[in-house]
Amino acid sequence: MMRIAPSPIWRASLASLALLSPLAAQRVTNGLVVLYDFDSSSGNIVRDRSGAGQPIDLQITEPKGVLRSKGALELRGKTSVSSKKPAKRLTEAIKRSGEITLEAWIKPAHTEQAGPARLVTLSRNSGHRNVTLGQDGDHYDVRFRSTKTSTNGIPSLATKDRSLSTELTHVVYTRERSGKTRIHLNGRPAAEKDVPGDTSNWDSSSLLVLGNEVEGIRPWKGTLYLVAIYSRDLSSAEVAANFKAGAGAASGLVAREEPDPKVVHFETRIAPILANHCVECHDASTHKGKLDLTRKATAFAALENGTPIVPGNLDQSLLWDVVFNDEMPEDNDPLGMQQKADLKKWIEDGAIWSLEEIDPANYVHSGGGSDQRWVQRHTVEEYIATVKATVGVDIAAEARQILPPDLRADGFTNTAYNLSVDLKHIDAYARLAEIIVSRMDPEIFARQFARNHRFTDKDMEALLKPMGTWILRGPLEAREIIAYRGISTSVASVSGSFKEAVGYMIQAMLQSPRFIYRIENQRGDGSSWPIDSYELATRMSYIIWGASPDKELMRAAREGNLSNLAQIELQAARMLKDPRTIERSVGFITQWLNLGRLPNMRPSPERFPNWKAQIAEDMRTETVSYFKEVVWTQERPLGDLLNAQVTFLTPRLANHYRGRPPQRTQGGPQRAERHDLTTNPARGGLLTHGSVLTMGGDDASMVTRGLFVMHNLLRGVVKDPPAGVDTTPVPPRPGLSHRGAAQKRIADRSCGGCHIKFEPLAFGLEKYDGLGTYFEKDHHGNTLREDGEILFPGEANPTPFQNTGELMDLLAKSKRVHESLTWKVIQFSIGRPLGSTDAPAVLKIHKAARKNGGTWPALIKALVTSDLVRMTPTESTKQQLRPSLPLNP
Amino acid sequence: MTKKNEISRRTILRGLSGAAIGLPFLEEMLVCNAVAAKAGAQIPVRAFNVFFGLGIPKPLQTEGFEGVLEPLKPLRDKLLIMREVDQVRCDESGINAHFDGASGAFTATPPNGEAKAGGASLDQVIRRELYPGGLPAGMVPTLVGGTFFRRSRVSRYVHSYNSDGTVAATMQEKPRDLFQRVFGAVAIDDRDPDARRDRIKQSVLDSVVDEYRYYTGNNSPLGSASKARVAEHLERIREYEQRAFSMKHQKDSGGPPRPPRSALRHGGAADPGGQGIDITLEELTTEWRLMADLYALAIEMDRARFGSLTFLAAGERIRLTGDYHYGGRKICTFDDARQQNASGDKGCSHEWWHKFKEDKKNEQLRAHAHMKMREVAYFLTRLDKTREANGKSILQNSLITISTESGDGRHNNVKRELSGVFHAITGANDRFKTGQIMDVRAEGLDVYNSITAAMGAKAELGPKKRDKRKIDQIRA
Repeated sequence: MMRIAPSPIWRASLASLALLSPLAAQRVTNGLVVLYDFDSSSGNIVRDRSGAGQPIDLQITEPKGVLRSKGALELRGKTSVSSKKPAKRLTEAIKRSGEITLEAWIKPAHTEQAGPARLVTLSRNSGHRNVTLGQDGDHYDVRFRSTKTSTNGIPSLATKDRSLSTELTHVVYTRERSGKTRIHLNGRPAAEKDVPGDTSNWDSSSLLVLGNEVEGIRPWKGTLYLVAIYSRDLSSAEVAANFKAGAGAASGLVAREEPDPKVVHFETRIAPILANHCVECHDASTHKGKLDLTRKATAFAALENGTPIVPGNLDQSLLWDVVFNDEMPEDNDPLGMQQKADLKKWIEDGAIWSLEEIDPANYVHSGGGSDQRWVQRHTVEEYIATVKATVGVDIAAEARQILPPDLRADGFTNTAYNLSVDLKHIDAYARLAEIIVSRMDPEIFARQFARNHRFTDKDMEALLKPMGTWILRGPLEAREIIAYRGISTSVASVSGSFKEAVGYMIQAMLQSPRFIYRIENQRGDGSSWPIDSYELATRMSYIIWGASPDKELMRAAREGNLSNLAQIELQAARMLKDPRTIERSVGFITQWLNLGRLPNMRPSPERFPNWKAQIAEDMRTETVSYFKEVVWTQERPLGDLLNAQVTFLTPRLANHYRGRPPQRTQGGPQRAERHDLTTNPARGGLLTHGSVLTMGGDDASMVTRGLFVMHNLLRGVVKDPPAGVDTTPVPPRPGLSHRGAAQKRIADRSCGGCHIKFEPLAFGLEKYDGLGTYFEKDHHGNTLREDGEILFPGEANPTPFQNTGELMDLLAKSKRVHESLTWKVIQFSIGRPLGSTDAPAVLKIHKAARKNGGTWPALIKALVTSDLVRMTPTESTKQQLRPSLPLNP
Repeated sequence: MTKKNEISRRTILRGLSGAAIGLPFLEEMLVCNAVAAKAGAQIPVRAFNVFFGLGIPKPLQTEGFEGVLEPLKPLRDKLLIMREVDQVRCDESGINAHFDGASGAFTATPPNGEAKAGGASLDQVIRRELYPGGLPAGMVPTLVGGTFFRRSRVSRYVHSYNSDGTVAATMQEKPRDLFQRVFGAVAIDDRDPDARRDRIKQSVLDSVVDEYRYYTGNNSPLGSASKARVAEHLERIREYEQRAFSMKHQKDSGGPPRPPRSALRHGGAADPGGQGIDITLEELTTEWRLMADLYALAIEMDRARFGSLTFLAAGERIRLTGDYHYGGRKICTFDDARQQNASGDKGCSHEWWHKFKEDKKNEQLRAHAHMKMREVAYFLTRLDKTREANGKSILQNSLITISTESGDGRHNNVKRELSGVFHAITGANDRFKTGQIMDVRAEGLDVYNSITAAMGAKAELGPKKRDKRKIDQIRA
């Protein structure tokens, strides 16, 4: 049963992207900030159809001055097409990137208009602009403001005389962060010059205007077919691709749908209330009072004592009655004033229910600041892999020794919010940078980026740009070049060598935030924006390899070859063949199952006199070898990890599993051998591994094992007992089996409501003791069983199984388990717990991965081509808070 | 320097039962009064949280200094013991009573996930308000240390949090790490100390600092949570820079040597799957006192003004052995596993709390709690030995908040578990009443906000919209 339904909120934003997708193969969309295709033939509004953030729609100031037709806007003078408010999103995006592409398909009315006449301008007035594309007689003129130009963007870049005609023309202006500017006409280079400086002085009060200046004194006459602005410098190949796509390429788009506020209210306010306060008792399986609030059909159905929810009618809604009077939630704190107000509004507004089902697991990490995005610091292993990939130095031994270990949070050690920094990190990064450079020949390293090894500004800049782009995973800004240039100057001033200078510059880069963190743009208008190509390359490489992008991926980013799904898939397919992918996936299984705890096991020597520490290592080897066999050798779906009939045992572990004492010769390292388990019904699948079974401690806790299955395989939710409920564990009677003790707890009125949801999940594992050894009877002489029932979350009735093998088969076939594995792999891949807002994207990824076999590569491919990876939520300036820690002066 | 002001080396070197404390004699210990006095008439604002695991059941708190609180009796004039402080709101998004209660200690808010608190801790609220420009150069912004073993969730053992609930500083769990964090000069150049190299190194550091500054500034592309993280990084770099260059003389002038290597397990090895570890009383108290000495020294040397010190994690699992003496009498023999006739987690001292019954003697629980109070008192006494310019001790001038996870020790009733959680505070330079045992009868959040207000902080903990109550009776 699929439980994650795509929400209408998400469907709305996907709609615009989906409509873009047919064009994606033709027109470049990566980095697009605004797009006007003049699709509408009427009205005074020109819609921004970029789908990137809050649309910047434009208003025609004098309708009589234009002629509208589908896909074209003819400007006849004495009018302009202007944003009502400053185009802050556009200004901020370019200000930050320092790059721009301004593209237009146009047909000038004649070649005499000058001033220049404004085709497209982002300016405050005629003397104060950020950028302007204009016509000056028979040529084009572009003014781009930087810290080195006047506020009017002069000196400008102009094409040659007579380069402008009244024919349909594709004109594109681009600027690199480094200052290189170009104009392309009809896909070919037409002008080029450097506009040095940066864009930190761009004015955020500027308006975006087409066909005139802000004050209306520089009208342009002619026809506009398309205007697009990107916050990055499109490569020549991308410009050519857009030219090839033609003037009408963008037609057929529809304006972005605004999400229905009632749907938003339900999904962001009501669903979390129901998930966190109601469905624990009122779901399909528990359905207290015969009420199931997880689905619309059951939530709205009449009960004996009334109808829970009657749209638009508060008085007749039983749910409102019991919540308002604090009768519900039973035995728990009543809902707060705001929650009640939200519920009231929802019912009065018609009780819109837009989700297929409310899955409480989706809301575990929602709210309470869970939507905050922490910049991702490299884990120790990622740092090691990044250094190796970037400068070819193996720093593993020193890094593992010097860097503080990363701690687990929400099941993984790469959870961004928990990757904090200590003085020890700073010291370690500095020391490691020194060690790394001492193992390199900086001069030889520099040769791959620049030929001239001299201290001159020109030569040093020529080296820094490509070297910095490589080490820091993206182009450098002017300020960065100046900063690193400062180091080389310091070296030169003390008569140091070029080699020394490069070494110190590399040391500085290795300590830079852009090296240690995965810095991304998180500023915008509060909506989701597409990430740029370098950010995408970096996300892809850390997801697939846990390391920085290789040269091929960086080239793809630079040349705009990560602009569409086909290109991304091509890169992903190539990357998935790299052996580092396997190691990355082993990192997942190691963290997910917390295999790092195995060396720390200290079972009671009285109860387990035959235990040897090496057995724990053998258990780790078993699980890792098994994972590689199933996922990579046999290329099976991830669900098969639960029941593949094969394993890898050292003789010592094989003995241990059979309950035999280790032989004397079994003290040292041993090789794990492959064992076919098709004739061994007692073993097979991850849950029968010692590495998992030992989670329950010496006493083989059914609570711990059951909770592990519930949380990690079924994504089930069990809350704490409510206040006032006696939760004293029922003391096991001497001689009682673990199942017997569990059944006591389940039968107990106070415990049973929750324990029945997870303890039976461990019944199929009863024959394995705390260290994973198989027994038919326990030490009291009780005959152990392996039959039971499993209740999959969301289902009304449990499914019976007769033995461990059947349980493993049920789990392996369960859609819920498949979904859970997808959630876990994605959480690990993106370094944060997932919440309800991620659920639709996760569902889409899951479906795509299952369609392609449900394997690790299928899942990773679906992930890197998804919106979860290609888009990023942004914070508007208003949302920006002061950093929580003050800085020393 | 009066005799009272001197730090007795013997005090430092001798532990319980004749156990030698391994802290090397630090020259700085002898000059600490001078250093403290030199600070001038202005007494710095300091706030530290002291946490101990497993708590003191509410009924035992009513026995005053005659019961498990006996070790605090010599300090009673400098403490306000607060009873009836409730942390019940911490169960709102509860996972585990130990975890919830511990997360609520010093924050009074429920946890936010496995590794985050629900909000800032007392010390950090005060730090941010009173030192908005950061602490003076050379100081550790927040010093978090402690001895603990169970580590499945961060708030079991960390007790200083930023306003976004992330940890305010990395836990220093080994005495050597704590020492290095406080006194360690960063040796940027062990091999070649010439000025030429320093100059280039400084240039490298300058460019690194500039980069971090950019990402915390107005033009940063980062969102607020990320910016805060990078700001934290920058703050550590500043400190690194200070130590690497300005404090270099310390290394040359023969600064304090490192304390000995810890004999206890640390990291993952200290927590074998929640099953608990075997440890002797001597091993435990030796480490505790070494940590307490180092932490106190950091305060005396004015290297730390904010932070927290942990005496065992919430829900700690140890199987303790050894004879426990106090005041010349033997209190009991610890032998948890044998006395409970169990192994693994079921043989840990933790189980005494599960077995607590008001109408029973609860001897083992009492002994464990008494022993922890003795160690907390050791730390406080250490701070009471140094006088500052106003004639009062550091203990009297600082805000030291002592709390724990549990009010009852039983998990069979969340309200009982999180009601009446033990709290004690110091006078904080006459801001709070001392010399009393007070039944405060208030929610933790109101008590904490009254404390931070008295310390001069405007920011408040907890949700904005709630019925707030000022707890004026605790103010002097």
